[in-house]
Amino acid sequence: MAPRVSCFLLAILFSASCEVIASLDQTCTEKEANKTYNCENLGLREIPDTLPNTTEFLEFGFNFLPTIQNTTFSRLINLIFLDLTRCQINWVHEDTFQSHHQLNTIVLTGNPLIFMAETSFNGPKSLKHLFLIQTGISNLDFIPVHNLENLESLHLGSNHISSIKFPENFPTQNLKVLDFQNNAIHYLSREDIKVLRQATNLSLNFNGNDIKGIEPGAFHSKIFQSLNFGGAFNLSVILNGLRNSTTQSLWLGTFEDIDDQELTSAMLEGLCEVSVESINLQKHHFSGLSSTTFRCFTQLRELDLTATHLQELPSGIEGMNSLKKLVLNVNIFDQLCQINAASFPSLTDLYIKGNMRKLDLGAGCLEKLENLQKLDLSHSDIEASDCCNLQLKNLLHLQYLNLSHNSPLGLQNQAFEECPQLERLDLAFTHLRVNAPQSPFQNLRLLQVLNLSHCLLDTSNQHLLAGLPNLRHLNLQGNRFPDGSIPKANLLQTVGSLEVLILSFCDLLSIDQQAFHSLGKLSHVDLSQNSLPGNSIDALSHLKGIYLNLAANSIQVIPPRLLPILSQQSTINLSHNPLDCTCSNVRFIMWYKENLHKLEGSEETTCASPPSLRGVKLSDVKLSCGMTAVGIFFLIVFLFLFTILLIFSVKYLLRKKYQHI
Amino acid sequence: MKAFMAAFLVWTLISANGGGGEAWPTHTACRDGSLEVLYQSCDPLQDFGFSVDQCSKQLKSNLNVRFGIILREDIKQLFLDVALFTKGSSILNYSYPVCEEDQPKFTFCGRRKGEQIYYAGPVNNPGFEIPPGEYQVLLELYNEKHSTVACANATVICS
Repeated sequence: MAPRVSCFLLAILFSASCEVIASLDQTCTEKEANKTYNCENLGLREIPDTLPNTTEFLEFGFNFLPTIQNTTFSRLINLIFLDLTRCQINWVHEDTFQSHHQLNTIVLTGNPLIFMAETSFNGPKSLKHLFLIQTGISNLDFIPVHNLENLESLHLGSNHISSIKFPENFPTQNLKVLDFQNNAIHYLSREDIKVLRQATNLSLNFNGNDIKGIEPGAFHSKIFQSLNFGGAFNLSVILNGLRNSTTQSLWLGTFEDIDDQELTSAMLEGLCEVSVESINLQKHHFSGLSSTTFRCFTQLRELDLTATHLQELPSGIEGMNSLKKLVLNVNIFDQLCQINAASFPSLTDLYIKGNMRKLDLGAGCLEKLENLQKLDLSHSDIEASDCCNLQLKNLLHLQYLNLSHNSPLGLQNQAFEECPQLERLDLAFTHLRVNAPQSPFQNLRLLQVLNLSHCLLDTSNQHLLAGLPNLRHLNLQGNRFPDGSIPKANLLQTVGSLEVLILSFCDLLSIDQQAFHSLGKLSHVDLSQNSLPGNSIDALSHLKGIYLNLAANSIQVIPPRLLPILSQQSTINLSHNPLDCTCSNVRFIMWYKENLHKLEGSEETTCASPPSLRGVKLSDVKLSCGMTAVGIFFLIVFLFLFTILLIFSVKYLLRKKYQHI
Repeated sequence: MKAFMAAFLVWTLISANGGGGEAWPTHTACRDGSLEVLYQSCDPLQDFGFSVDQCSKQLKSNLNVRFGIILREDIKQLFLDVALFTKGSSILNYSYPVCEEDQPKFTFCGRRKGEQIYYAGPVNNPGFEIPPGEYQVLLELYNEKHSTVACANATVICS
């Protein structure tokens, strides 16, 4: 036995040294065999010979290629994606990509380009995405126009561009994204925008450019997908400049590090003549906020007022009948009623996440929002001793409710009776006080997803999850069970339709063999990060084809009788367990090697004992648990002695028998 | 084996970068009569530059800082983890979202891998007085894939 082990260890050591030698040569990381490689940060001066000709996706950033030309990548003719970020490229010579017909993305971000030849981008049949971010471009003439007819996105951020005027012959007909972030564009003229007339549904990004003027009529009857003027100092200049334009979304937010003007009603006047569906005004200050401030917001469908220092929304805002989505995250409301919800009768989505003060939900503050489907009240320090029927009064169509990361909530029987249509309920990291035998979720007939992770639940309450006939996904992560054990009679018995069950970080020591018996539809069971032993697998004997995560438990030995239970599952994770690699576990180890395709995290599935095999991957372990040499020796000696004894006794008997004759 | 390979890779990278596997130099973020802040990059791939405008025991709110780095990851989402230790024991662990999709707090949010960033501006910190002593601070900036954007081991000496 002992010499075998040491031989084996030697073999491992030898193979390890082989791997190291190989890695000196094979510098790039293979992400997908023969297709995707990462060669970043290796100081390479050329494409390594080890890369196969079939390479399609190549990340080659942070290397050293001062000049690229038609010989540089000529071998890799199947390239689809090529990332050359910060390779200190100065020159892109003629026909560099001549033989790369399939190339669709070229990333040249952060290269100090001096010159790109006229035919630099010739070759690809359909070049769609070009990244020229921070390449020192000051004039758009710098970009060679040949073969850009198929371009869908052009990223020109962080350059020295002051005018967005493209050369007349620049092909823009397929452009969908044009990104000018962090340049020096101060003025947009009619001529500038005119060149983009062929592009339809364009997204234009001017974030981080201080636009000081727009020529009147520049955007006249233009249609955009999105326009971003983030960090613009003067919003009235922008809005007046956008007169008679149409855009799906308009991003006008500002940032912590920008001194902004206070927004007045007058500054937002221009919006009356812009056709827009969705506006973002994050981090602005409103001065003299009143119902007239929103006079020109009447056609809006989405309004984002994240971190706009709001203590309340004025009452009596008129004409916001079509608003569907309102974001009021990171403001300073004291009471939910201060949002004056009655002004937005059509609202389907409401977000009040991360309120900066303790938010009091009050009573019936949202009762006028009959169409509300989605409500996010997470991270808002909400506390309530009796939740949530009074607070969520009349939200008959609510489908999604997020109350996670709040202060303790007391829940009684049928706590969500006012929202019978709920499909997803998130209460993670909110301490729930439920007195046994109350059933707070009773009658949520449509609820499919329930997140109760880290809710400090009383899991001995067997009625806790009663009345959830359609629950598919239940997360109980981080809740404790009495004595660290899930007994036969437990709270899961009422949720027979469960497909996904998460019980990780629950400090579990054991699970009764019958504990999951009522859960016949399970397809995903996560029992990771507990202290479960091998025989807890017994509780899964009635399940087939599931994903089973048993990572980071206390599994040492898996008895042979449990192997069929594992065999009938589709994916199993047994990593980070103190697995035993002696002959007492040999059947399991053999099973493991035969079923490697089913196992997840096999790199981290290692032996803990015997000490000589500690840290060795289970898939590398070679055990032969036949008889040892000493055993065989003793057996032979025993058989020999037995034969001698037999012969002597036969002799003796015969002698005795014939003695009388 | 993986850990060994990683260590080996790091070793080759460091030795390729600047001779003999040395760590990055320790820089001074600020130094004043009673307060000194030193830091060292713990990202094996690169160093970065950082300085604080004012340096006093009575830390002012909304401090101005200067920060220069090359991005090795996109930062549409960016998070900061701070761990504060004194005499080897942990006093404070803190995580703060700097850039999120639904709330990009700073102008640099959304910039791309490979971009060089220089930020000079406020950091929106609360003001407080630093009790005398020596503190170790581990700061880590990372994105949604948990890839490191910047990492710093800092020492704060307050007398």
